[in-house]
Order: sequence, then structure tokens, then C-alpha cells
Amino acid sequence: MTERPKTFTTATYGLSHMKHNMMRTITVMVTLTLTMGFFILSLSLFFGLTSKVDPDSERRGLLEGRVPTSTDLFQDMRIDRDMSEGSRQALVELLLFTTVLVCAVSFFIIYNTMAVSVRERRREIGILRALGLSSWEVTKLFLAEGGFIGLVSWISALFLGMPLILNLSVYLLERGDTAFFFVAPAIPPQLLVLSFLFSIGLCLASTYLAARTRIGSSPVKLMRSQE
Amino acid sequence: MPREPFIVLEDVSKGYKVGGQTVHALDHLTVTLDKGDMCALMGPSGAGKTTLLNMIGGLDVPDSGKVMVGGIDLSRLNEMQRASFRKRNVGFIFQFYNLIPSLTAYENVLVPVMFERDQKRGRAEDLLDRMGLSRRMDHLPMELSGGERQRVAIARALMNDPPLILADEPTGNIDSETAREIVSLFRQLNDEGKTLIMATHDRMMAGKARSMLRMRDGRLSGGKTSTRSGTVHLASSKYQGTQ
Repeated sequence: MTERPKTFTTATYGLSHMKHNMMRTITVMVTLTLTMGFFILSLSLFFGLTSKVDPDSERRGLLEGRVPTSTDLFQDMRIDRDMSEGSRQALVELLLFTTVLVCAVSFFIIYNTMAVSVRERRREIGILRALGLSSWEVTKLFLAEGGFIGLVSWISALFLGMPLILNLSVYLLERGDTAFFFVAPAIPPQLLVLSFLFSIGLCLASTYLAARTRIGSSPVKLMRSQE
Repeated sequence: MPREPFIVLEDVSKGYKVGGQTVHALDHLTVTLDKGDMCALMGPSGAGKTTLLNMIGGLDVPDSGKVMVGGIDLSRLNEMQRASFRKRNVGFIFQFYNLIPSLTAYENVLVPVMFERDQKRGRAEDLLDRMGLSRRMDHLPMELSGGERQRVAIARALMNDPPLILADEPTGNIDSETAREIVSLFRQLNDEGKTLIMATHDRMMAGKARSMLRMRDGRLSGGKTSTRSGTVHLASSKYQGTQ
């Protein structure tokens, strides 16, 4: 016989829903993982460009094929001394623009995905409201799901994205024939914190904005939908 | 036994815009129901039965008039207060069960108490056991028959031990044998002191009720009538209910 959970919480509710809608959950997570991977890459290049650390020894290590350990991953990396100040400034601005663009596109994608999910669950929202759950309690159910998806996507982006970034940096350094390719990405602790906050924040904000209007509607209207 | 008024609707009106025209779902309706009553609402589709249940259950608010349940004026409550009122005082049973498809029968019963400190999980198991579903607790709604789903919905409606049960066509989507079981269960709940109001087209079900209201075009067509021994006395007609 199945062991029943000791308490029935928002987490139980969210996990049951995600399990029941596995394909949608995976789609959202893959989308967010790719978005987050790109975000981390942009940010890491940005950090690389703005870092003041002498890069020579680190670069040699990468070119010699040294596999980064988990400690290495969190170290500040380098910027090429030969790059002119003007080129560096241009690249910083370009990456800043790219990062902001990634943020906006990510928000748009996640918001729309969540909006579709909420729209499909109007009836369920109506039932929950009819059973006496307040708008805020129903919102919390959606936020818990959004937060969980954000967390899982951040972790997968980190574990899939970091090796990709480091391998890419080796490739770029090996080519090394333009100013841009002299720039190696950096993965400092603040990048981890920033990407974590971005991933969770993006999911929570987009879920909240997508859900708030519908959850606040009349339970009767919500239950009549999809009939 | 003297009965006390439990539900009082005074001059209640509710309209919906349909294709630019206003349809009067409730039209200056005044009705009183006693505590411990088991009342059947009958009438053709569009007569306003569901709207009336929604008003009594605090799911909807009237355009004008007053809705009092257990001394609480629902017209004066905001949405959060109405949600709290529903959680504590009302158990809803719907024609299409309205179970959450991703949750098991057991979890569905726990939904109303999800945010409570004491979730009374033993009560959820007891209720499902009482509904004859002790072996189906861990099944998803899609794995249950129509009758089983409706019994899960009844268990869910009883989870908070509400004094008022509102059922909208509870037997409209199940076979006659299961419908009889559910009616019998409603009688038991009524005998235990619950006030039951059910919208139905089922004459057998209406025949088991203590009283009946017949509606048409958002108004009562005839007064409130009592039923006895399965015989339903309508304002304009009389027929034999199924025993």
C-alpha cells in the first residue's frame, strides 16, 4: 500500500501537478535551463571583461587542458591586458545590452508559458476558491510551483552550463585571433548568487503576474471555463 | 420540533450579460430555509437553481437584495471573508465532481484543509472509509468510476464538518443505483443535523427531501412545499416519487 504523506502541503500539491503534467513541466524546465545557461554565459563574459585579475596563469592552465575542479569554478578569471580600453568598454556595453535582452526575452518566455499554464487551470483555480481557499492561498500554490521550477532550472543550467562555458573559453582562447576571443569568462561567487536570484525571481515574478488576474476572478466564472 | 430560520434571502436579484442582453438569473427572490432542512430545488435549466446555490454558498454576490446564512450577511463580506465563510460553513458537491485531476482521492479530500495547522488526516481517512472508498484512497480521479468520484467529492465537502451542504445536480452524472446510495447518504447527513440544499431534476431525489422549492425564470413558481413518503406536492402538480 502506498505510504501517504504525513502532511499535505503546497509542495505536495505542486509536485503532484508537475508529475501529472510531466511533459509541460519538462518543457518549461528545458526552456528555462537554456535561458539560464545563456544568461550565465553572458554574465560570466561580462565578469571576465570587468575583472581586474591578472589572467596569465589561469589562461595557461586552461590552454594546458587542466580540468577545472569545483574550487576553480568559483575563482575569478582574467582579462587580456592587450585589449585596448576602448574595445573593452565596447564589449562591456555589448554584453550588458545582451544580458538585459536575455533577461527581457527570458521573462517574456516564462511569463507566456506560465500564463498558458494558468489559463489551462482556470477551472482548477475556481474549484480551489469554491472550497474556501483565498486568492492568496491559491497564488501561493502557483508560486511554489514556479519557485521549484526556477530552482531546478538554475541547478541544471549551472551543472550543464558551467562545463559548456569553460570548454567554450578554452576554444576561444585557443583561437585567440581577435580581441573578443581573448576574453575568457569568469564564474565568481557573485555570478552564482546573481543567477540564482535571477532564476527564482524570474519564475516567481512571471508566475505571480500570470496568475494574479485569473486567481482574483470570480470562482463561478472560473469554474464555468472549459465546460 | 420548532425550526429556526437558517438561510434568509430578501428580494435578491442577479443578472448576467449575455450577448448584450441582461438575463435575470434571480429576479427579486425572497425565500427562507430552516436549520436542519433538506430542500430540493427543482425547475427547468436556466431557472436560477445554480445561481441560488451560489448565492447561498457565498460563491457569488447579488446585484441587489440581502443574503443571510446563519446570521451572517454575505452581501457585506469581501472576497477574503467569503472564502473563509465557505471554508468553515459550506460543503459544495457538484454535478461533474470537480476533483483535482492530479491529486489522489485522499489528497482531494484534504484540499480544503491544506493550509490548516491541524489537517485532521484521520478524519479524511474516516470519511473515505465511510464512503466505502478505503481501498481507493490512493487512486487518481481518472481511475475511479463516476459514483466513486462523487463520493470522494462528498467526503471532501464534509472535511471541515460544515453545517450546510449545497449540492448542484449531484446525481446528474451517475447511474440510478449509485444515485439511490447518494440520496440515502444525504438523508443520513440530514439526520445528523446538516442542512442540505440540492438542485436536481431527479424526482426520486426530490421525493426524499423534506421540502421542495420549484423555480422558473429566477423566481419561485409556487411556495415552499413539504414532501412526505416520497410524494412530492408541487404548487401546480403532484406526482409519485420513487421510493
